[in-house]
Amino acid sequence: MLEARLEQAALLKKVVDAIKELVQECNFDCNDSGIGLQAMDNSHVALVSMFLKSESFSPFRCDRNIALGINLNALQKVLRAAQNEDILTLKAEDAPDVVNLVFENATADRISEYDLKLMDIDQEHLGIPDTDYAAQISMPSSEFQRITRDLSAISESVTIECNKEGVSFACEGDIGKGNIKLRQYTNVDKPAENVEVNMTEPVALTFALKYLGNFCKASGLSEQVRLCLSNEVPLMVEYALANNSYIRFYLAPKIGDED
Amino acid sequence: MNEVPVSQDAPQDLEQDVTPSNIFIPPTVDTPKLLSGNTYSYFSPIPSAIASDLSTECVIGIDEAGRGPVLGPMVYSLFYVPQSLHYSLLRDTHAFTDSKALTAEVRSNLMRTLCTPPATSAGAESNDADDAADAGEAESASLQTHCGFSATLLSATSISSYMLPSPRTAPYNLNAQAMDATIDLIQRTYDMGLNITDIFVDTIGKPEVYQKNLERIFPAARISVEKKADVTYPVVGAASVVAKVTRDVALEVLWDEYVKHTSMTDPGDHWGSGYPSDGRATNWLKASMDPIFGWGSECRFSWGTAKDLLEGKSAAAIVDYEEEDSKTVKMTDFFSSNGEDDGAEDELGRWYGRNLSEEVF
Repeated sequence: MLEARLEQAALLKKVVDAIKELVQECNFDCNDSGIGLQAMDNSHVALVSMFLKSESFSPFRCDRNIALGINLNALQKVLRAAQNEDILTLKAEDAPDVVNLVFENATADRISEYDLKLMDIDQEHLGIPDTDYAAQISMPSSEFQRITRDLSAISESVTIECNKEGVSFACEGDIGKGNIKLRQYTNVDKPAENVEVNMTEPVALTFALKYLGNFCKASGLSEQVRLCLSNEVPLMVEYALANNSYIRFYLAPKIGDED
Repeated sequence: MNEVPVSQDAPQDLEQDVTPSNIFIPPTVDTPKLLSGNTYSYFSPIPSAIASDLSTECVIGIDEAGRGPVLGPMVYSLFYVPQSLHYSLLRDTHAFTDSKALTAEVRSNLMRTLCTPPATSAGAESNDADDAADAGEAESASLQTHCGFSATLLSATSISSYMLPSPRTAPYNLNAQAMDATIDLIQRTYDMGLNITDIFVDTIGKPEVYQKNLERIFPAARISVEKKADVTYPVVGAASVVAKVTRDVALEVLWDEYVKHTSMTDPGDHWGSGYPSDGRATNWLKASMDPIFGWGSECRFSWGTAKDLLEGKSAAAIVDYEEEDSKTVKMTDFFSSNGEDDGAEDELGRWYGRNLSEEVF
């Protein structure tokens, strides 16, 4: 039996919006510590890993481990029926055919209830090792989104380079090239605008902008985004949520792109 | 002798059934170059009457053959003749006109006359000439000694490779290719040192635009770009005959080559005129399509007929190319789906989703 109550439907709406571009169908894995999801895109270049800790729900109850195989398009349709401020409750039996979603409006005078059919999804889980990244960059999500958008107009890929000067995003395309440099910045009054660069060694890696653009769909979930890079391992883009919940995207680097 | 043992009234569409040994192979058909699948040009030597006095005022006619077919080359031909003989020799003596109005035999004989010194071609000439009685100056003149010609054979391979979009080159459409072939022929004729007064061009597209373009490039000559110029000007008619004969023979040479090299025990029916509207051409395309390579260098792959066959349901083999982005490494190259590696980060992996896919890591 699963019962998970979210104070704000907006969270789940945004999560689905953020990953739907990458993944069409996936399992929501529920256990007593929360609800998680891990899936790769079709080309196996990008991976999304989300975890909503049980603390993010009130209350949260999950007696047995349940996998909810969900078509995200269908889920999005149902979630469109919810207002951002609605209280959302997810319910499922122990061996469910459907997941039940209940939306209550803030004044508790309107209750809508939907059953979404589930599917069996064979999914592989990748073990993501703990990595001490050589460079960790925190910046406003909106800034990362803007960089991605601006550079997409010029090229298909971007080289993210991190050194003591700061971090630079460079790309080169048919029409010319572009380069955006960010330096460390601290705003005590508005910490959301901080740019923080922690680096143990210089890093330069190239990534497909198409995927970074997809990741940026999660910008609405968190004011800050954290990019973690090490040479020759996938980039991790993390949007931290309240209560240690998170949504993380991993993107394999392009190799041999120096010429 | 030069007599062709086929009756004059043979219907035009049967011309392809004439066995190759009976076909006069004009010098414009260069078999090795043709079979190589490359575009090439042929230029006749300057005829003796003009070579002896290069200041002779000449008129040029240009026409094309084989624009529409899905098979074989497109031929652009340039024909030149001293201005004083333009009508008397070409129209009055030899009755050059639009190649479509002449039978294959007449065309072939005219071509033969054009390429044969007068002494031996007398028979063929009298055979063709409708009325040479009042020809005057033309009577002493002959096609071979007074007329020059050239032709560019745009191969099917180069037409389609220019037309089909590629990541490196912008598509180069058929009209632009035709215009460039025309300009090149004229330029190279100028380069031979001829005194050119008039240039007549038969066109398919808009004459005005084309004419303006040519006038800019060749300001010295009077230029007339007209539709149906092959009927109006005998010199264009002559060019159209050269082009048509060249194309027909070229197609025949390609057919022989195909029959010689086809892996099929029975080469099947002839491809006919090579036009998409010709059932024999489309039947041949259907019957001989290789699921991987399609057809040989004789086929214009950019034509709808060919594309439809390749993409249609009977269809060519489908090849799945690797992701365009082959430089991107896959996630699975980094992260293992082996359950034992599931760390604290992936708490759920312990319960769910052992690798069930066919991929092997």
